[in-house]
Amino acid sequence: MTISAAAPAPATPPREMGREGALIFGGWEIGLIVVMALLYAGGLYLNPAFFGSTDALFSVLRDASRYGVMAVGMTFVLVNKELDLSVGSTFGLTATFFGMLFAPSYFDLGLWTAVIWCLVLGLVIGLINGFFVTILEVPAFIATLTMLFIGRGVILGLTGGKNIAFELKALGTSGFFPLGEINGLGFNNQIIAFLIIAAIGAVALAYTSVGWTTYATGGNEQAARYAGINTRFVRIRSYVLSSLCAVIAGLMNVAQSKDADPQFGLGAELIAIASVIVGGAAIFGGRGRVIGSCLGAIFVGLIDKVLREGVPITRTIDLGGGETATVAAVAQLPPGAVPAFLGVVLILAVLIEPWLVRRRLIPRFWAWLRRRPPPPVPDLGGIAITGVQTRGANVQARGLGKRGLVAFFYRRDAAAVMLMIALWLFGWWARPDFWEGLDNSFSILLAFSEIALLAVGLAFVMANGDIDLSVGSVLALSGATAAVVMKDTNLGPLVAAVAAISVGMLAGVINGWLTAYVGLPSFIATLGTFYWARGIGSSIVAGTQLNGFPESFNLIGHSLLELLTVFGMAPTHGFWLAIAKAVSVQTIFVLLVALIAGIVLAHTTYGQMVYAVGGNERAASFAGVNTRRVRFTALLISATCAAFAGVIYDAFYRSFIPTAGQLRELDAISSIIIGGGSIFGGYGTMIGAMAGAAVLTLIRQLMSLQIILRDGSSFVLPQQWQNVFIGLILICAVIGDIWLRQNNILGQWFGRARRAEEAAAPAKEAEA
Amino acid sequence: MNAPIVEMRGIDKSFGPVRALVNVNLRLMPGEVLGLVGDNSAGKSTLMKILTGAYQRDSGEIFIDGKTVHFKSPHESRDLGIEMIYQDFALCGNLDVGQNIFLGRWPKRFGLFVDRAKMHHDAREILDRLKVDVNSVYQKVESLSGGRQQSVAIARAISFDPKVVIFDEPTANLSVTATKRLLETIAELKRHNVAQIIISHRMNDIFEVGDRVMVLKRGRNVGERLIAETTEKEVLELIVSGVPETAATELVA
Repeated sequence: MTISAAAPAPATPPREMGREGALIFGGWEIGLIVVMALLYAGGLYLNPAFFGSTDALFSVLRDASRYGVMAVGMTFVLVNKELDLSVGSTFGLTATFFGMLFAPSYFDLGLWTAVIWCLVLGLVIGLINGFFVTILEVPAFIATLTMLFIGRGVILGLTGGKNIAFELKALGTSGFFPLGEINGLGFNNQIIAFLIIAAIGAVALAYTSVGWTTYATGGNEQAARYAGINTRFVRIRSYVLSSLCAVIAGLMNVAQSKDADPQFGLGAELIAIASVIVGGAAIFGGRGRVIGSCLGAIFVGLIDKVLREGVPITRTIDLGGGETATVAAVAQLPPGAVPAFLGVVLILAVLIEPWLVRRRLIPRFWAWLRRRPPPPVPDLGGIAITGVQTRGANVQARGLGKRGLVAFFYRRDAAAVMLMIALWLFGWWARPDFWEGLDNSFSILLAFSEIALLAVGLAFVMANGDIDLSVGSVLALSGATAAVVMKDTNLGPLVAAVAAISVGMLAGVINGWLTAYVGLPSFIATLGTFYWARGIGSSIVAGTQLNGFPESFNLIGHSLLELLTVFGMAPTHGFWLAIAKAVSVQTIFVLLVALIAGIVLAHTTYGQMVYAVGGNERAASFAGVNTRRVRFTALLISATCAAFAGVIYDAFYRSFIPTAGQLRELDAISSIIIGGGSIFGGYGTMIGAMAGAAVLTLIRQLMSLQIILRDGSSFVLPQQWQNVFIGLILICAVIGDIWLRQNNILGQWFGRARRAEEAAAPAKEAEA
Repeated sequence: MNAPIVEMRGIDKSFGPVRALVNVNLRLMPGEVLGLVGDNSAGKSTLMKILTGAYQRDSGEIFIDGKTVHFKSPHESRDLGIEMIYQDFALCGNLDVGQNIFLGRWPKRFGLFVDRAKMHHDAREILDRLKVDVNSVYQKVESLSGGRQQSVAIARAISFDPKVVIFDEPTANLSVTATKRLLETIAELKRHNVAQIIISHRMNDIFEVGDRVMVLKRGRNVGERLIAETTEKEVLELIVSGVPETAATELVA
């Protein structure tokens, strides 16, 4: 039979279906408005005195308008499949910057000069973010998180934690400050500013090439690039827009408050991101609308307000002698509850897409209610194709066949070990009198043990390609739990420690479940925990005096000498006395944990699975590795280590403060990357993590060294500037990892130079 | 003629409104090399993923060695001797050659620790047996060339002692010499009586090593030819303008 015998049937052209309906308000936005109405009704029921007035509505809208402006910018970033965590600190930095430029007590510049400099600041921050993320290829969450920490550090460094007031000068100025005031129509001008910016943003995103290139880049960057779109420019532009929006929001805030508080904008990035995602944008990019984001901002602002305003209650007071009186009061949530709640909102909002939309939970539930067979879940296809990563191999390939010390220098963790030794020697050179003292070694080892313990857990998480941003917060949550159990109950230190570790592990279970089983990106799941764990930690300790723990508990944080003295076994002289003075119980514990974890990571099948998942999750899954369980376990290990660190924190400081472990995630992530780990997973050893932690410890220690100047005065770098510096180190480490280790840029340059030389050599000969 | 080692009958598969496969049949004899060809979106990869259990079929039957099976994951098909070599090889670039060959089944010591010495030794043996040229079993896979990476993937598949090997676009990313080496490996496997299915766009590769070619178009069987009795031109015509009726010309033998 020949082919031509069976002529193909004429194909009917597919019918043109026309456009989708209801473009202004999709189903999502309608649903949001309904939920908001219900929420407002709830507020009305709980607190009619407040929510019953139009003032309340306007004050909700006023506060939401600042977040809304930030959400407009953030929409561009999220549609681009990126994240900007720095907006909160940009917001705060704007206020500080404006305050310092404008306030008579500082530079006392003109109003518009100050405003313009703030906008320049936003432009610069946006460009820096964009430069790091697009040109230097640093993952967005790391680059902007570091920016957040650096920004906060700069705010504290500039203001010293003090408020900058300029109300008198503001009253004498016209033209700008009415932006933050109530207008003749009875509502705040910020609402108008919000509406204008929202309208501009909505039109730009939906109807102009600015928006269309943004959607294209977020949907499929490669395709967009092939289509001739300069995707780098588009991505940098979205960061600039986001920063500028944060600056405008910050200016709106100072226009209203007429002072600059270093606390301004704390956690605002969370509200902005949550708003955009609640508004229907996908965390996986390519989807999102400004209208949705603005409604989302009002929604999150409303939740914030409902939580902050509290519930009026009547409290019965016993006046003595059988007389009682009822007093009206407001039950407010403890501090920390609001960020905790917002962290949960963020996670829930991100879950909407994979669970509610893709798995068709609502239609299935509706069918179940009517006792009909549920509609089928569409097959989502296999695991996304990820190729063999062809990065980071150059150094290893060259190290093949080398032996001894030479082989060591080709290892990825060699740099950290050498840096550690160099830094110690530097300290010894700079202040030999102080550096040699046992006290110094003791404090270095103490500071080391906290960072090292977090790094132990994080080494697993980062080796399998995830990240845990919540380690510092889990430390605080566990520390708070231990402190509260010891102070508020008489269950004793052992129960307190067990409870603290259990709570920390629970946080790890949540992180692991959301990441491995629900399928959220780990940085989002742990970012949620970053907020809620610290929030809950600070809210459960509220109102408790948190020191004076049992002495048996505090021994964990003491030197070996004190412990041995308790048992009457203290050495009296010589080498062992020095060791016992320098080493504390927690240091021994940390080294033991690191040893066990190192063996697990390097020599057991679990360790191999971790690296396999980090290298190529799909390949590992095809090879029969239960990748979900591996990732879950790694996040659990990380949280458990953080919980241990929390217990040790209490014992060492003999007290607990809610800011415990703040910024520690920065140190821990830096440790791993300096120690040879990769932000993309698949690499990192325990020796490297420990050496990296030691490097970080030594840097902090060197920065806090009192430097004696020639004229006899001395100088110490303040703590907040140290944090800025650590942030810079993290960024440098990530960039070094990507460009030096993975792309082998030095090798390429040397190779190019050599080739150029070789090419030039015959030419010279010919000349001669 | 003896019984087929793989038989797929009346396979249907839809992704939402898209009907990826409609009543597709496939038969593979032991030691046979079957070329699976068709345009993009013809359903070749989907059919193979259903065979390995990466996707679940909507209806139809699969027989392995005459027994009906229902794989829920690629691990189950592996247990019955079906191996797939993916277009991107599915290797972990950060691990070395030995670790990749034994991915997920590293030899153990004391039931807990990885026996690296044994792993690298056995990996060397497997590579030597296959006559695959990989210099060192200690080399990280990502530092190997594409062809060598594929060699590792094949070595890994062969180490399971499979009865059926499926190649997904094996020559798509290979140089000319690497392609030649691969075709030699396929012939070598055929001599060991391993049945193979090759998904490919490159007709000359299939005509060089294949026994039979099967054509899919828009998720339907549109024809099947013995390599010895057909030409590249005829197969190309089937790919472009085949209709389900032409499948009736299937070899009756």
